[in-house]
Amino acid sequence: MSTKVLQKKKRVNRWYQFTKWMKGNWHLYFVAVSLLIALQYLRTLTPLFLQYVVNTVVNGEQSELPMFIQNMLLADTLQKQLVLVGLVYVLFAFIRVVIMFIRRLTNALFTENVAYNMRNTLYSKLQSLSFSYHTHAETGDLIQRCTTDVETYRVFVGEQLIEIFRLVFLIGFAIYQMIRISPMMTVYSTIVTPFIFTAAVLYFLKVKKHFKEVEEAEGKMTTTLQESVTGIRVVKAFAKEQYEIEKFEKDSKIFLAKDFHLLKLMAIFWGGSDFINFIQYALAIVFGIIMATNGDISAGDFMTFLMYIGMIVWPLRQLGRIVGDLGKTSVALDRLDEIVLKDSEHLNDSTNTPEIIGKVEFRNVGFQFEDDHKPLLKDINFTVNKGETVAIVGKTGSGKSTLINLMVRLLDNQEGQILFDDNDIKNINKKHLRQHVGIIMQEPFLYSRTLYDNIRIMDKKAPQEKVYQAASVASLHEDVLGFESGYETIVGERGVTLSGGQKQRVAIARMLLDAKPVLIFDDSLSAVDTETDIQIRNALNQHWKDTTVFIITHRITTAMEADKIIVLDKGHIVEMGTHNSLLKEQGIYNELWQIQSNVEYDYKKLNKGEN
Amino acid sequence: MNYFDEEEYKDSKFDLAVWRKIFSYMAPLKKHLFIGIGAAVTLATIDTIYPLINRYAIDNIINTGSLELLPWFIAFYIVIIFMIGFLVYTFIMHAGQVQQKLSFILREKAFKKLHELPFSYYDKTPVGWIMARMTSDSRRLSEILSWGLIDLSWGLLTMIGITIVVFIINWKLALILMAMLPLLVYLSIYFRTKILRAYRKIRKENSKITGAYNEGITGAKTTKTLVLEEENYQDFDRLTSSMRRHSVRAAMFAGLYFPSILFVASVTTAIVMYYGGTMALDYNELLGIGISVGTLYLFLNYIGQFFDPVMQLANILARLQQAQASAERIMGLIETEPEIWDTPEVIEKYGDAITFKRENWEELHGDVTFENVTFKYNKGETVLSNFNLDVKAGQSIALVGHTGAGKSTIVNLICRFYEPTEGRILIDGKDYKDRSLGWLHDNLGYVLQSPHLFSGTIMENIRYGNPNVPDEKVYEAAKLIEAHDFIVEFDDGYQTEVGEGGSRLSVGQKQLISFARALLANPRILILDEATSSVDTQTEKLIQRAIEIVLEGRTTFIVAHRLSTITSSDRILVLDDGKVLESGNHTELIAKQGHYYKLYTNQFKSMALEESKNG
Repeated sequence: MSTKVLQKKKRVNRWYQFTKWMKGNWHLYFVAVSLLIALQYLRTLTPLFLQYVVNTVVNGEQSELPMFIQNMLLADTLQKQLVLVGLVYVLFAFIRVVIMFIRRLTNALFTENVAYNMRNTLYSKLQSLSFSYHTHAETGDLIQRCTTDVETYRVFVGEQLIEIFRLVFLIGFAIYQMIRISPMMTVYSTIVTPFIFTAAVLYFLKVKKHFKEVEEAEGKMTTTLQESVTGIRVVKAFAKEQYEIEKFEKDSKIFLAKDFHLLKLMAIFWGGSDFINFIQYALAIVFGIIMATNGDISAGDFMTFLMYIGMIVWPLRQLGRIVGDLGKTSVALDRLDEIVLKDSEHLNDSTNTPEIIGKVEFRNVGFQFEDDHKPLLKDINFTVNKGETVAIVGKTGSGKSTLINLMVRLLDNQEGQILFDDNDIKNINKKHLRQHVGIIMQEPFLYSRTLYDNIRIMDKKAPQEKVYQAASVASLHEDVLGFESGYETIVGERGVTLSGGQKQRVAIARMLLDAKPVLIFDDSLSAVDTETDIQIRNALNQHWKDTTVFIITHRITTAMEADKIIVLDKGHIVEMGTHNSLLKEQGIYNELWQIQSNVEYDYKKLNKGEN
Repeated sequence: MNYFDEEEYKDSKFDLAVWRKIFSYMAPLKKHLFIGIGAAVTLATIDTIYPLINRYAIDNIINTGSLELLPWFIAFYIVIIFMIGFLVYTFIMHAGQVQQKLSFILREKAFKKLHELPFSYYDKTPVGWIMARMTSDSRRLSEILSWGLIDLSWGLLTMIGITIVVFIINWKLALILMAMLPLLVYLSIYFRTKILRAYRKIRKENSKITGAYNEGITGAKTTKTLVLEEENYQDFDRLTSSMRRHSVRAAMFAGLYFPSILFVASVTTAIVMYYGGTMALDYNELLGIGISVGTLYLFLNYIGQFFDPVMQLANILARLQQAQASAERIMGLIETEPEIWDTPEVIEKYGDAITFKRENWEELHGDVTFENVTFKYNKGETVLSNFNLDVKAGQSIALVGHTGAGKSTIVNLICRFYEPTEGRILIDGKDYKDRSLGWLHDNLGYVLQSPHLFSGTIMENIRYGNPNVPDEKVYEAAKLIEAHDFIVEFDDGYQTEVGEGGSRLSVGQKQLISFARALLANPRILILDEATSSVDTQTEKLIQRAIEIVLEGRTTFIVAHRLSTITSSDRILVLDDGKVLESGNHTELIAKQGHYYKLYTNQFKSMALEESKNG
């Protein structure tokens, strides 16, 4: 492909990138822009009323209105003509005002529709992106894109671009009207304006860097503030108040200095550009006076020109400002595309929804992240029958969580096969799979709503008794009744912060609402005390006899009750069997058991032994 | 990024006292304020005079046909241009400085106050609340008190100036101009208030949407595993739909505002054109009847110049209500009296919590005594009553018990985050209120359950607040804690940035760094709030070893959750309901077969069950 074609393709993409968000709302934009252009034309007509009054009525020049219209409107005397001009002016203003309102409303409808589409598209995209995307993405950055970048685009199409249209047409129409009155005078009235425009563009290009610096300095100061407030316990306990105050003062001063520098630049620009603008006025006025005195233009023309200059110099400065400020939008759109153009994890997903009963088999399963050199899991083989309980133990990083994530296709294994009732997991629809394989995570997420709704989220039709029952089984009911608002307590980011154990129990309760053939505890009893742990597991054994259960745990006491124990180390299964058989193997499991079971365990001794 | 909830603003009544206090903070900025106002007022005067010059040109140069006066006219014009350029510059410089410096002062005062306030303040006050006061409120307030005030004076003077001039020139036309004023003011204030309220709603909606994104992203895994995508999307759509509705509504008000003002002005223009035109027809300079063409131009020009200040004023008035709320909130923070503060005599001798007089400090040995201490939370129940405890320097004390048993209260009292309601706490035999907060805290170390790190490098975090400590000391501390190995494994080693709040490190790593920090600070009294979060067995071992090391040679209080960590403590206090049920060392308490024994064996209950089955 030649570079020319490539370039063209890129340009087309830019155009597509820019316009795709407007889809379905073009008609609104078209209306808004057309009305806007009409309005600018109407606006440049207003000085002509003054011109007419002064030239025709007061100075007695020949009226430009055809005689028959004047007669028809009974405007045969100058007095009556003035009445006519006044009435027409009011009517004219009324039309202008109405169009103006419709223009603004259409504009708002357009902008808000676009923003609404963007927000919804981004949200549903984010939800459908794969789990590995989410593990690598930074929350703050994503939120920034979904809010600030959307706002940047919204402001660009809804305000900046509109403003550019407005200013260009206003200036264009004003120059047209001026030329019609006096070309020579038009030259005097616009001679400095290219300079105004260029100066404004250059200035705002240059000052952009400073704006960014100020923003960064402010951001740094805010971070210091927030950290100091959230870490106040540390600050106080270490008696570092003075240190924190000095640190903040330093950041605050840097921000002040940068902000002051920017202020100075601003003051120079606004003062300087006012100076230049008034020079333009002065030139026009001086030459206008000379021309009017010589009789080249009338006094009415002169006054009209003074009004038109106002329609050119201030808008030009504004236009320069906007042009200099552009460029942010394409950066924002690129950042948004990085989200939107990612493939959804449901793309090309299987549509099969075979029945899942509870037999799980791993055949030579291996997994590795693309950017990693070492596989996280390798040669994993095991079979679990319906209704069995399997415990998975191993150190952090041994691959336990990866194994679980593969089972619900949060990650996809590259090697081997995972089979649910002899169906390869890759031939099962993801949502279907997840609806039948329940996971309770170590750090479960609660939504910002009431506790009751958080439990009932799995089955919106569940009756109250069922919710209470699930909470009781999860040893949560008592805790909840202790809260001031009971089940109506709002939890999550915007509500009461629950303890880790309470969160885990909410997650368990919510899972219990709906029977599942396979249930996975991803270290999800770690923060509840041993007593509650036993209680929950006993209850589960009673209610969920037929469910295949996987339990990841650090507690050997939990693992030992399982039908099968799998010990993972560095991505491999190193031991597998029952509690008793593994104790005999004298391997990792036995070691863990020794550490945790010895009631009078003296770990100092162990240290010495290790050294 | 920080997202702070838009709180409810009540349009409160004008409160002079609040403003008077705020103005007292502005005293050092008086110069800037006056210069700014001066420049604005001069500009307003020029704005009023400027059309007069053009009228003069029209009537006395163009209409007389003589260019004789032109040079004078040009000279005058040049002076005006220079003045405008200079005045605009001055105006922006000084108004801007008032704004920047005022928010600097407010930030500074509030931040200092935040560090004087006792711990109980933070128990009651959400971080978001504080952040909102320090950021958006102080910004809003300083903007209105700088640009707002100066714009206000410009607007008022422009209006007054024009009014005076028009009445002098032609009172009949002036009356027409004045007639539109009440309507303009009414419309402006009506719409401004509406628009402002609508935007407030939008900001609230917006923060809800941000929250929803946050939830959607941080909860992505849960949402996927529970297959709740569709439902969440429905919820989100409700938010964005409502946002769209409110935004369009706000745009409608904004869309009505300017056109309605414009229409009023246009009607006035039409009347002036007709009436002024008629007078211009009758113009006779000698007889003094009618008006000149220049005057007609002047009036039409003034109409345009009149509505800008009116809109400006309405804007400021509308914002002033909100600024009042901001002012109240900031003053509320700055004026809060710290509940725990040293007496003037103590400050005189030892300094306060912020400025130290180290030269007068006695050495702290570490004897801690509770003497009949009773403690009640402000309006709450009694947590401790008549509590007595005597700890010798260098002893380690473990506090055991259920949530609410009083463990944290005891620790908070030792730290003087709270003070006893009755009774005394003695350190080295002397009431700790007789020595300064700074003295106590400087000798105190605290390792938290959820470790808090500050952004910056690992090095900076370990040597927290003591920039003069040599690197070797830092390495030494890290090695003792056995954090050195994982630190040097990072690409940047000790210079690794930990991220905001230490976000780039794991919980276990943060924990070890906070131990190294405590060790380096070398406190006489150390508080350990033991971690409950699940770390793997290996890291747990490291942390236990770290605890042993930092304990050595200091008075230590451990709030214990995992009993295996405290078996070597000198004394274990089993607490319930603010009372000591049992006290003694591990062996003694096990032998006693009481509460401790029960708690301890409970942790291994299931194992015991299994053993009995086997047996």
